[in-house]
Amino acid sequence: MSGHEFHPLVKQLLDGDITLADLPAELRAEGEEALQLLAGVERTDVTMPAVTWRVMATLERRRRRFLPWLLAPALAIAAALLLWLRPGSPPPSASLVTVRFVLVAPEARQVSLAGTFNQWNPQATPLIRAGNVWTATLTLPAGQHQYAFVVDGARWVPDPGAPAVDDGFGRRNSVLTL
Amino acid sequence: MRPGSQATDGDIVRAVLAGDRERYARLVERYRDRYARYATRMLGSMDAAEDAVQDAFVRAYDQLAQCKEPDKFVGWFFLILRNRCFAERRRNRNSASLDAANEVAAADRADGGAENAESRRALQRALLELTPDQREVFVLKHVEGLSYGEIAERLSTSIPSLKMRMHRAYDTLREQLRDHT
Repeated sequence: MSGHEFHPLVKQLLDGDITLADLPAELRAEGEEALQLLAGVERTDVTMPAVTWRVMATLERRRRRFLPWLLAPALAIAAALLLWLRPGSPPPSASLVTVRFVLVAPEARQVSLAGTFNQWNPQATPLIRAGNVWTATLTLPAGQHQYAFVVDGARWVPDPGAPAVDDGFGRRNSVLTL
Repeated sequence: MRPGSQATDGDIVRAVLAGDRERYARLVERYRDRYARYATRMLGSMDAAEDAVQDAFVRAYDQLAQCKEPDKFVGWFFLILRNRCFAERRRNRNSASLDAANEVAAADRADGGAENAESRRALQRALLELTPDQREVFVLKHVEGLSYGEIAERLSTSIPSLKMRMHRAYDTLREQLRDHT
Protein backbone atom coordinates (compact mmCIF):
# COMPACT_ATOMS: atom_id res chain seq x y z
CA MET A 1 0.00 0.00 0.00
CA SER A 2 1.46 3.37 -0.99
CA GLY A 3 1.60 6.33 1.31
CA HIS A 4 -1.37 7.92 -0.43
CA GLU A 5 -3.80 5.09 0.03
CA PHE A 6 -6.17 5.07 2.94
CA HIS A 7 -6.31 1.92 5.02
CA PRO A 8 -9.35 -0.23 4.08
CA LEU A 9 -10.85 0.36 7.50
CA VAL A 10 -10.52 4.10 7.00
CA LYS A 11 -12.35 3.75 3.68
CA GLN A 12 -15.12 2.00 5.58
CA LEU A 13 -15.15 4.98 7.91
CA LEU A 14 -15.53 7.33 4.92
CA ASP A 15 -18.31 5.14 3.57
CA GLY A 16 -20.13 5.55 6.88
CA ASP A 17 -19.99 1.83 7.68
CA ILE A 18 -18.03 2.31 10.92
CA THR A 19 -17.23 5.20 13.29
CA LEU A 20 -13.94 6.70 14.34
CA ALA A 21 -14.24 4.86 17.65
CA ASP A 22 -14.34 1.56 15.78
CA LEU A 23 -10.85 2.13 14.37
CA PRO A 24 -7.82 0.66 16.15
CA ALA A 25 -5.80 3.31 17.93
CA GLU A 26 -3.03 3.31 15.34
CA LEU A 27 -5.50 4.29 12.60
CA ARG A 28 -7.28 7.09 14.48
CA ALA A 29 -5.07 9.87 13.10
CA GLU A 30 -5.57 8.62 9.57
CA GLY A 31 -9.29 8.40 10.26
CA GLU A 32 -9.37 11.99 11.45
CA GLU A 33 -7.51 13.10 8.33
CA ALA A 34 -10.08 11.25 6.21
CA LEU A 35 -13.01 12.85 7.99
CA GLN A 36 -11.37 16.24 7.50
CA LEU A 37 -11.47 15.53 3.78
CA LEU A 38 -15.22 15.03 3.91
CA ALA A 39 -15.60 18.23 5.92
CA GLY A 40 -14.78 20.10 2.73
CA VAL A 41 -17.75 18.61 0.87
CA GLU A 42 -20.14 21.35 -0.20
CA ARG A 43 -23.76 20.27 0.07
CA THR A 44 -25.53 23.60 -0.28
CA ASP A 45 -28.46 23.54 -2.69
CA VAL A 46 -27.91 25.07 -6.10
CA THR A 47 -30.79 26.75 -7.88
CA MET A 48 -31.06 27.61 -11.56
CA PRO A 49 -34.21 29.69 -11.96
CA ALA A 50 -33.21 30.90 -15.43
CA VAL A 51 -33.16 27.39 -16.84
CA THR A 52 -36.94 27.22 -17.28
CA TRP A 53 -37.23 30.24 -19.54
CA ARG A 54 -33.97 29.39 -21.32
CA VAL A 55 -35.31 25.94 -22.21
CA MET A 56 -38.70 27.26 -23.29
CA ALA A 57 -37.09 30.11 -25.26
CA THR A 58 -34.89 27.58 -27.08
CA LEU A 59 -37.92 25.49 -27.99
CA GLU A 60 -39.80 28.60 -29.13
CA ARG A 61 -36.87 29.81 -31.27
CA ARG A 62 -36.69 26.44 -32.96
CA ARG A 63 -40.43 26.45 -33.57
CA ARG A 64 -40.13 29.86 -35.25
CA ARG A 65 -37.29 28.59 -37.41
CA PHE A 66 -39.43 25.62 -38.29
CA LEU A 67 -42.43 27.67 -39.41
CA PRO A 68 -40.89 29.76 -42.22
CA TRP A 69 -39.99 26.82 -44.40
CA LEU A 70 -43.32 25.37 -43.63
CA LEU A 71 -45.11 28.51 -44.76
CA ALA A 72 -42.81 29.73 -47.53
CA PRO A 73 -44.73 29.85 -50.78
CA ALA A 74 -42.01 27.96 -52.64
CA LEU A 75 -42.32 25.15 -50.20
CA ALA A 76 -45.97 25.48 -49.52
CA ILE A 77 -46.95 22.84 -51.94
CA ALA A 78 -47.84 21.29 -48.64
CA ALA A 79 -51.54 20.93 -48.96
CA ALA A 80 -54.21 18.40 -48.75
CA LEU A 81 -54.58 17.46 -52.39
CA LEU A 82 -57.77 15.91 -53.41
CA LEU A 83 -57.24 12.95 -55.66
CA TRP A 84 -59.74 10.52 -56.92
CA LEU A 85 -58.63 7.00 -56.50
CA ARG A 86 -57.77 5.48 -59.90
CA PRO A 87 -58.83 8.53 -61.94
CA GLY A 88 -59.42 6.52 -65.08
CA SER A 89 -61.89 4.19 -63.45
CA PRO A 90 -65.47 4.82 -62.40
CA PRO A 91 -65.74 7.08 -59.32
CA PRO A 92 -65.81 5.29 -56.00
CA SER A 93 -68.69 5.28 -53.66
CA ALA A 94 -70.14 8.76 -53.31
CA SER A 95 -69.70 8.54 -49.53
CA LEU A 96 -65.92 7.85 -49.56
CA VAL A 97 -63.21 10.10 -50.91
CA THR A 98 -59.50 9.41 -51.20
CA VAL A 99 -57.34 12.28 -50.08
CA ARG A 100 -53.63 12.76 -50.32
CA PHE A 101 -52.02 14.76 -47.55
CA VAL A 102 -48.67 16.37 -48.33
CA LEU A 103 -46.23 18.21 -46.13
CA VAL A 104 -42.83 19.56 -47.04
CA ALA A 105 -40.66 19.05 -43.99
CA PRO A 106 -36.99 18.54 -44.87
CA GLU A 107 -35.81 18.64 -41.25
CA ALA A 108 -38.43 16.30 -39.86
CA ARG A 109 -37.52 12.82 -38.68
CA GLN A 110 -41.10 11.63 -38.67
CA VAL A 111 -44.47 13.07 -39.57
CA SER A 112 -47.92 11.74 -38.87
CA LEU A 113 -51.52 12.86 -39.16
CA ALA A 114 -53.89 13.27 -36.26
CA GLY A 115 -57.48 14.24 -36.78
CA THR A 116 -61.13 13.55 -36.28
CA PHE A 117 -60.81 10.55 -38.60
CA ASN A 118 -58.34 8.74 -36.31
CA GLN A 119 -59.45 9.97 -32.90
CA TRP A 120 -56.52 12.45 -32.88
CA ASN A 121 -54.11 9.60 -32.38
CA PRO A 122 -50.66 10.82 -33.51
CA GLN A 123 -49.39 7.26 -33.89
CA ALA A 124 -52.23 6.05 -36.12
CA THR A 125 -51.35 7.59 -39.48
CA PRO A 126 -47.65 8.01 -40.29
CA LEU A 127 -46.66 9.84 -43.48
CA ILE A 128 -44.15 8.34 -45.91
CA ARG A 129 -41.06 10.32 -46.80
CA ALA A 130 -39.86 10.94 -50.38
CA GLY A 131 -37.01 13.42 -50.22
CA ASN A 132 -38.28 16.49 -48.41
CA VAL A 133 -41.91 15.62 -48.98
CA TRP A 134 -44.06 13.56 -46.65
CA THR A 135 -47.31 12.06 -47.89
CA ALA A 136 -50.20 9.91 -46.78
CA THR A 137 -53.18 8.82 -48.79
CA LEU A 138 -56.41 8.11 -46.94
CA THR A 139 -59.92 7.20 -47.92
CA LEU A 140 -62.30 9.20 -45.78
CA PRO A 141 -66.04 9.57 -45.49
CA ALA A 142 -67.50 12.61 -47.22
CA GLY A 143 -68.07 15.48 -44.87
CA GLN A 144 -65.91 17.80 -42.82
CA HIS A 145 -62.72 16.65 -41.06
CA GLN A 146 -60.28 18.47 -38.82
CA TYR A 147 -56.65 17.49 -38.58
CA ALA A 148 -53.05 18.57 -37.99
CA PHE A 149 -49.64 17.21 -38.88
CA VAL A 150 -47.57 15.91 -35.96
CA VAL A 151 -43.88 16.47 -36.61
CA ASP A 152 -41.30 14.42 -34.70
CA GLY A 153 -43.98 13.22 -32.33
CA ALA A 154 -44.18 16.56 -30.59
CA ARG A 155 -45.03 19.52 -32.82
CA TRP A 156 -48.58 19.88 -33.99
CA VAL A 157 -48.62 21.87 -37.18
CA PRO A 158 -51.70 22.95 -39.16
CA ASP A 159 -51.67 22.29 -42.88
CA PRO A 160 -50.50 25.56 -44.51
CA GLY A 161 -52.48 24.69 -47.62
CA ALA A 162 -55.85 24.27 -45.93
CA PRO A 163 -58.22 26.57 -44.01
CA ALA A 164 -57.98 26.34 -40.25
CA VAL A 165 -60.21 26.89 -37.27
CA ASP A 166 -59.47 27.54 -33.63
CA ASP A 167 -59.64 24.32 -31.63
CA GLY A 168 -60.86 26.10 -28.50
CA PHE A 169 -57.53 25.52 -26.72
CA GLY A 170 -55.47 28.18 -28.44
CA ARG A 171 -54.32 26.06 -31.35
CA ARG A 172 -55.38 25.85 -35.01
CA ASN A 173 -56.81 22.78 -36.67
CA SER A 174 -56.89 22.41 -40.43
CA VAL A 175 -60.26 21.76 -42.00
CA LEU A 176 -60.93 19.48 -44.94
CA THR A 177 -64.38 19.34 -46.49
CA LEU A 178 -65.09 16.42 -48.78
CA MET B 1 -55.87 14.70 -16.14
CA ARG B 2 -55.07 16.24 -12.79
CA PRO B 3 -54.91 20.02 -12.97
CA GLY B 4 -51.90 22.21 -12.27
CA SER B 5 -49.34 21.16 -9.73
CA GLN B 6 -51.08 17.84 -8.99
CA ALA B 7 -50.40 16.59 -12.49
CA THR B 8 -48.02 13.64 -12.46
CA ASP B 9 -44.93 13.52 -14.63
CA GLY B 10 -46.78 11.02 -16.81
CA ASP B 11 -49.75 13.39 -17.20
CA ILE B 12 -47.45 16.19 -18.32
CA VAL B 13 -45.39 14.03 -20.67
CA ARG B 14 -48.53 12.77 -22.36
CA ALA B 15 -49.94 16.30 -22.66
CA VAL B 16 -46.71 17.58 -24.22
CA LEU B 17 -46.65 14.70 -26.68
CA ALA B 18 -50.25 15.54 -27.59
CA GLY B 19 -49.14 19.06 -28.53
CA ASP B 20 -49.39 21.06 -25.31
CA ARG B 21 -45.81 22.24 -25.57
CA GLU B 22 -46.08 24.88 -22.85
CA ARG B 23 -46.73 22.22 -20.22
CA TYR B 24 -43.12 21.13 -20.56
CA ALA B 25 -42.16 24.19 -18.48
CA ARG B 26 -43.74 22.49 -15.47
CA LEU B 27 -41.42 19.50 -15.81
CA VAL B 28 -38.43 21.80 -16.13
CA GLU B 29 -39.43 23.73 -13.02
CA ARG B 30 -40.04 20.53 -11.13
CA TYR B 31 -36.60 19.03 -11.72
CA ARG B 32 -34.15 21.73 -12.74
CA ASP B 33 -32.93 22.42 -9.18
CA ARG B 34 -32.96 18.78 -8.08
CA TYR B 35 -30.11 18.11 -10.49
CA ALA B 36 -28.48 21.54 -10.49
CA ARG B 37 -26.17 20.59 -7.64
CA TYR B 38 -25.21 17.28 -9.25
CA ALA B 39 -24.29 19.01 -12.51
CA THR B 40 -22.41 21.78 -10.74
CA ARG B 41 -20.26 19.38 -8.76
CA MET B 42 -19.71 17.15 -11.78
CA LEU B 43 -18.59 19.98 -14.04
CA GLY B 44 -16.92 22.20 -11.47
CA SER B 45 -18.53 25.31 -12.92
CA MET B 46 -21.97 26.75 -12.36
CA ASP B 47 -22.08 28.24 -15.86
CA ALA B 48 -21.20 24.91 -17.46
CA ALA B 49 -23.72 23.16 -15.21
CA GLU B 50 -26.51 25.55 -16.17
CA ASP B 51 -25.74 24.98 -19.85
CA ALA B 52 -25.74 21.22 -19.29
CA VAL B 53 -29.06 21.21 -17.44
CA GLN B 54 -30.63 23.42 -20.10
CA ASP B 55 -29.29 21.27 -22.92
CA ALA B 56 -30.44 18.07 -21.20
CA PHE B 57 -33.99 19.39 -20.92
CA VAL B 58 -34.01 20.38 -24.60
CA ARG B 59 -32.69 16.94 -25.57
CA ALA B 60 -35.28 15.29 -23.35
CA TYR B 61 -37.99 17.29 -25.11
CA ASP B 62 -36.69 16.20 -28.51
CA GLN B 63 -36.68 12.56 -27.44
CA LEU B 64 -39.81 12.66 -25.31
CA ALA B 65 -41.64 10.18 -27.52
CA GLN B 66 -38.91 7.67 -26.59
CA CYS B 67 -39.63 7.99 -22.86
CA LYS B 68 -41.25 4.58 -22.54
CA GLU B 69 -42.44 5.09 -18.97
CA PRO B 70 -43.68 8.69 -18.72
CA ASP B 71 -44.30 8.33 -14.98
CA LYS B 72 -40.58 7.66 -14.57
CA PHE B 73 -39.58 10.74 -16.54
CA VAL B 74 -37.17 11.92 -13.85
CA GLY B 75 -34.98 8.79 -13.92
CA TRP B 76 -34.92 8.91 -17.71
CA PHE B 77 -34.04 12.60 -17.63
CA PHE B 78 -31.22 12.00 -15.15
CA LEU B 79 -29.52 9.62 -17.59
CA ILE B 80 -29.69 12.27 -20.34
CA LEU B 81 -28.17 14.86 -18.02
CA ARG B 82 -25.52 12.38 -16.90
CA ASN B 83 -24.50 11.69 -20.49
CA ARG B 84 -24.36 15.41 -21.14
CA CYS B 85 -22.13 15.97 -18.09
CA PHE B 86 -19.79 13.14 -19.08
CA ALA B 87 -19.55 14.45 -22.64
CA GLU B 88 -18.78 17.92 -21.35
CA ARG B 89 -16.07 16.54 -19.07
CA ARG B 90 -14.50 14.67 -21.99
CA ARG B 91 -14.53 17.84 -24.10
CA ASN B 92 -13.00 19.97 -21.39
CA ARG B 93 -10.83 17.41 -19.67
CA ASN B 94 -7.84 19.69 -19.66
CA SER B 95 -9.54 22.99 -19.25
CA ALA B 96 -11.29 22.61 -15.92
CA SER B 97 -9.85 25.65 -14.29
CA LEU B 98 -8.98 26.50 -10.78
CA ASP B 99 -11.14 29.57 -11.23
CA ALA B 100 -14.12 27.33 -11.86
CA ALA B 101 -13.37 25.29 -8.75
CA ASN B 102 -13.01 28.44 -6.73
CA GLU B 103 -16.24 29.78 -8.17
CA VAL B 104 -18.18 26.71 -7.08
CA ALA B 105 -16.68 26.71 -3.60
CA ALA B 106 -16.92 30.47 -3.16
CA ALA B 107 -20.49 30.81 -4.35
CA ASP B 108 -21.73 28.52 -1.61
CA ARG B 109 -19.63 29.43 1.33
CA ALA B 110 -21.82 31.98 3.08
CA ASP B 111 -21.62 29.82 6.18
CA GLY B 112 -18.37 28.87 7.87
CA GLY B 113 -15.12 30.69 8.13
CA ALA B 114 -12.05 31.11 6.00
CA GLU B 115 -10.68 27.71 7.01
CA ASN B 116 -13.84 25.93 5.88
CA ALA B 117 -13.85 27.93 2.67
CA GLU B 118 -10.28 26.93 1.95
CA SER B 119 -10.96 23.26 2.60
CA ARG B 120 -13.94 23.45 0.24
CA ARG B 121 -11.86 25.07 -2.47
CA ALA B 122 -9.12 22.48 -2.00
CA LEU B 123 -11.59 19.61 -2.23
CA GLN B 124 -13.30 21.11 -5.28
CA ARG B 125 -9.94 21.40 -7.00
CA ALA B 126 -9.11 17.82 -6.06
CA LEU B 127 -12.47 16.60 -7.35
CA LEU B 128 -11.52 17.94 -10.77
CA GLU B 129 -8.66 15.44 -10.84
CA LEU B 130 -10.92 12.40 -10.45
CA THR B 131 -12.15 10.43 -13.43
CA PRO B 132 -15.79 11.21 -14.30
CA ASP B 133 -16.82 7.78 -13.00
CA GLN B 134 -15.07 8.32 -9.67
CA ARG B 135 -16.31 11.84 -9.37
CA GLU B 136 -19.89 10.85 -10.05
CA VAL B 137 -20.03 8.24 -7.33
CA PHE B 138 -18.39 10.67 -4.89
CA VAL B 139 -20.91 13.41 -5.76
CA LEU B 140 -23.91 11.10 -5.55
CA LYS B 141 -22.85 9.66 -2.19
CA HIS B 142 -21.25 12.55 -0.37
CA VAL B 143 -22.98 15.55 -1.95
CA GLU B 144 -26.40 14.16 -2.83
CA GLY B 145 -26.41 11.85 0.19
CA LEU B 146 -27.50 8.70 -1.66
CA SER B 147 -26.66 5.23 -0.37
CA TYR B 148 -24.63 2.80 -2.46
CA GLY B 149 -27.84 0.87 -3.07
CA GLU B 150 -29.64 3.95 -4.38
CA ILE B 151 -26.71 4.88 -6.61
CA ALA B 152 -26.48 1.33 -7.97
CA GLU B 153 -30.16 1.43 -8.87
CA ARG B 154 -29.91 4.81 -10.52
CA LEU B 155 -26.86 3.90 -12.58
CA SER B 156 -27.82 0.27 -13.19
CA THR B 157 -24.57 -1.03 -11.77
CA SER B 158 -23.39 -3.12 -8.82
CA ILE B 159 -22.50 -1.96 -5.32
CA PRO B 160 -19.03 -3.61 -5.37
CA SER B 161 -18.21 -1.78 -8.59
CA LEU B 162 -19.32 1.52 -7.06
CA LYS B 163 -17.27 0.90 -3.93
CA MET B 164 -14.20 0.17 -6.02
CA ARG B 165 -14.59 3.49 -7.83
CA MET B 166 -15.19 5.32 -4.59
CA HIS B 167 -12.23 3.83 -2.77
CA ARG B 168 -9.94 4.80 -5.64
CA ALA B 169 -11.44 8.26 -5.47
CA TYR B 170 -10.62 8.49 -1.76
CA ASP B 171 -6.98 7.67 -2.48
CA THR B 172 -6.76 10.15 -5.35
CA LEU B 173 -8.33 12.89 -3.25
CA ARG B 174 -5.91 12.21 -0.43
CA GLU B 175 -3.01 12.46 -2.82
CA GLN B 176 -4.31 15.64 -4.40
CA LEU B 177 -5.02 17.30 -1.07
CA ARG B 178 -1.59 16.43 0.24
CA ASP B 179 -0.01 17.88 -2.88
CA HIS B 180 -1.95 21.11 -2.42
CA THR B 181 -0.95 21.57 1.20
